[in-house]
Amino acid sequence: MSNVCEDQVFSSIFKAHSKTVFNYIYYKFGNEEKANDAVQEAFVKLWENCAKVTPDKAKSFVYTVANNLYLNVIKAEKVRLKYADNSNDRSNESPEFLMEEQEYKQKLDDALNALPENQRTTFLLNRIDGKKYAEIAEMEGVSVKAIEKRMHLALKSLRDKIDGL
Amino acid sequence: MQENYLAKWLSGELSEEELAAFKLSAEYKSFERLKEVSSTLEAPEFDVDQALVRAKENFGTAPKVITLNPFKPFLRIAAVLAILLVGSYFYLGTLGQTVTTDYAESTNVILPDNSEIILNAESQITYSKKNWDKERNINLEGEAFFKVAKGKKFTVATEDGTVTVLGTQFNVENRQGFFEVTCFEGLVSVTHNNTETKLPAGNSFLVINGEIISDLEKPIGDTPSWMQNESSFNRIPLQFVFAELERQFNIIVTTENVDTDLLFTGSFNNTNLEMALKSISTPSQIKFKVEDDNVLFYAGNTSK
Repeated sequence: MSNVCEDQVFSSIFKAHSKTVFNYIYYKFGNEEKANDAVQEAFVKLWENCAKVTPDKAKSFVYTVANNLYLNVIKAEKVRLKYADNSNDRSNESPEFLMEEQEYKQKLDDALNALPENQRTTFLLNRIDGKKYAEIAEMEGVSVKAIEKRMHLALKSLRDKIDGL
Repeated sequence: MQENYLAKWLSGELSEEELAAFKLSAEYKSFERLKEVSSTLEAPEFDVDQALVRAKENFGTAPKVITLNPFKPFLRIAAVLAILLVGSYFYLGTLGQTVTTDYAESTNVILPDNSEIILNAESQITYSKKNWDKERNINLEGEAFFKVAKGKKFTVATEDGTVTVLGTQFNVENRQGFFEVTCFEGLVSVTHNNTETKLPAGNSFLVINGEIISDLEKPIGDTPSWMQNESSFNRIPLQFVFAELERQFNIIVTTENVDTDLLFTGSFNNTNLEMALKSISTPSQIKFKVEDDNVLFYAGNTSK
């Protein structure tokens, strides 16, 4: 049976989950430094407890440690995200279109920061990290239904805000 | 539309009809664009490899070796033993002293504050020598005379009631179905069945088979008669007189055609069995026979 104390096993768990731990904490608090620290803290704890934590439990272990680290401790800051430049035919777009798109992204940014922390985290974990609702539910320690509710509300208020309703 | 349909739509869980209906709605275009643009969102840069190197620096490369302490089981046993020792020391400290007398025996106990207890036959007291400064509590089974030195509240607890005093001389007798407190000096307080009775000097409190007996004669002398090797009774049912006789002489009393509820007034000597038997049988008009340690009281023909 593989053991988290083995260097290879540990490294593969680190590679698989450290980015999500980082993003998860970043979505919550909008602080890169704190998110980096949370990754370090979570995985050092995992290493210290490697004899007790089985590989299949390691994932939820690091999320829990990272999440508890800042529980009620720090205030959320503004979350700053980038947009991938995925349009190959950008040159063909009219300047008006590009301008309008830039405005839209700005509105989305503002709307995201206006969301309650748990809705924003759920929305971004799904949109950026491609996490299924069930996975997010496990990370947050709530039911899938609760995550669906958060997602529904997040979509609704983002749209309301962007469309200026 | 089902609950949380926006979330269901995003995860592609809407049914075909629901999806068709949603597509016809006015807001569909807005949500479609939100879905599209949000899919191009990116989180800040995160260098996994660098973070891993940093993490490993934090705890070193060698896996932590957890040394099992070979003394652990031993320590556990030692801890339990230590707790037991300390616990029993305190427990025994509170349990404290026990003094017991057997049949035909009496003894004298001096308490830490110079209070004195004289135990009659077949009796037992327990008290805590250690806590005596803090509380003067005595548990009594049987009969004893108390000379209490002045001080804090002094409590004698028995099965049928408690006696509380400050400093005085009194006698407590608690036998099967029999509870008597006699105050010889000062004032004692008797609690029986949650009722408190104040007993001034020269008065007795008597309960026989759960019934409080009033109209008692005043005790004679300033100490109970048993301390002068005399057991005296004032309108006490014969059964209790026989019980006292058994205790004083270590004998077994049996009766034949004798009404043991008859009240007896009188006394018997605790040193001479022959005299004691006569003291009881003559006024009661019954006869007795002695065989070794057995005494039989029976109704005499002449009394009929």
